[in-house]
Amino acid sequence: MKFRLYLIIGGLTGIALAILGDLVGGDWGRFTGGFENLYVFFTESMWPPDWSVLEARSYPVCESNVELFCSVGYIGMMETLKIAFVSTILGFIGAILLSPLAARNLQSVRISIPVRILLSFVRSLPSLIWAIIFVIVIGFGPLAGVLAMTFYTVGYLGKLQYETFEGMQSGPLEAGRAMGLSKSSITLNIVVPENSNHLLSQMIFMFEYNVRHGTVIGIVGAGGVGYYINNYLKFLQYDKVFALLLLIFVVVIIIDLISLLARSFVNEQGDVRKPSWLNLLLKLTKSKNPDEQQPSSE
Amino acid sequence: MERKYMSRRLLSLHNLVIGYNEPLSKPISAKVNEGEIIAVLGPSGIGKTTLMRTIAGVVMPLEGSYALSVDAKGGLGYIPQNLGLIRHATVAHNVSLGAGVRMKWSFSMYGERREKTLDALKILGIEDKASEPVRRLSGGQQRRVATARTLAQRPQLILADEFLSELDDANAKAVMDAVQPLVAKGASLIMVEHHADHAIKYASRIWELIDGTFTDTPIEEWVKRMRSLHYFQGGEEE
Repeated sequence: MKFRLYLIIGGLTGIALAILGDLVGGDWGRFTGGFENLYVFFTESMWPPDWSVLEARSYPVCESNVELFCSVGYIGMMETLKIAFVSTILGFIGAILLSPLAARNLQSVRISIPVRILLSFVRSLPSLIWAIIFVIVIGFGPLAGVLAMTFYTVGYLGKLQYETFEGMQSGPLEAGRAMGLSKSSITLNIVVPENSNHLLSQMIFMFEYNVRHGTVIGIVGAGGVGYYINNYLKFLQYDKVFALLLLIFVVVIIIDLISLLARSFVNEQGDVRKPSWLNLLLKLTKSKNPDEQQPSSE
Repeated sequence: MERKYMSRRLLSLHNLVIGYNEPLSKPISAKVNEGEIIAVLGPSGIGKTTLMRTIAGVVMPLEGSYALSVDAKGGLGYIPQNLGLIRHATVAHNVSLGAGVRMKWSFSMYGERREKTLDALKILGIEDKASEPVRRLSGGQQRRVATARTLAQRPQLILADEFLSELDDANAKAVMDAVQPLVAKGASLIMVEHHADHAIKYASRIWELIDGTFTDTPIEEWVKRMRSLHYFQGGEEE
């Protein structure tokens, strides 16, 4: 049994390597040279990050008392966060209206299949392509970004949501149906609350995704921090680009922590009182004391 | 055996064959009138749950038919084996679903629904848990929530899978005491049971499913038969 498993894994790895070899075309030298290039690029062009992106711009003149509020990093990041927030909320509303229609355990095939196809179509165009379309249609700026991200969010979040609904336990649905509840009431009062934990976590994931992709769609002129990254890339100011990328990294980590906190209100883990780091450290110092063997009741 | 008083028929099964792909039973025919408590007995995996799910309309019968004469909205209360509660919602939300199912929308509806919900919670003794998420409650308390939901719904026919099986005598009595007034008003209860003593204590009839054969026996007759079987096998009489 184990031998067969190893054989399958080995076989798949072999096939992947063979395809990679075909894609590379035998030019493996590029691969080893790549690391050297990366090292040179990183040490000479990117490091150290240029934190002047967090200082006030020379033009327009800063009217705020806090210099940071006039900086490229702050203005760009705030715009990206705003675009991501608005498009996540609008996209979530669009998705939650469509996904119950796409779930096969909630709707008949006649309704669910067309809705699934619609969601697949919206999802099949990456947010970058949506951004290009909306920049062409309504011009440069954050509105194009919001629309692009909203469309993509509907497609992506819609799929995550209907798959979650399909995976839920059938008991509550069966009880609701036997009771005689309408489909809309079942969705609103049973399906959504039962999956609230997943819906919340997916929404926050999507917000984080939109923040990260805000940088990409900015490159085509749809606003946000990506617009400035693109500008610096054009002028080969990679140290400033690196500073902005680090800023995005920090924001993503903060969103992740907020997600953890928000989900603790609706999942089982939130029900268990966990010891804080401080309590844990106190316990460790206490346990060194031989008179006090009993752990505290907290 | 016909019941002594004339009562309305709530459910008739006509040569019903239950199962998913393969039949689990021979044709089942039975009738349920108002005010009856029926215990469904039989070994595990014999099709008791499938029978419940078929009557609840969740599973299609393989053959035959059944007729339910209860209100389409709220006339049937179903408590599945896993209770079918919304685990992440509060106790009050779960119970209010039952309370609101028969109501037509109006401004006063919300107050009425709230009152019905609170009444049901009080009867089951869980009013202090109203704002707790169901997932935080113990198994017995969750069973009470499911019962409260059905109670607030005031259905004409209650289908309860493994209704009292996991409960101790005190909890089982509390749950049955809550359901009895509904039965007294004409509702009927069909419950899947594992413990014969619960069935003897509460049921008026026994449905037995053994090796695909269905029997419908009044409780007195069933108890007599069980005792004689016990006697012939050399056991002691109660």
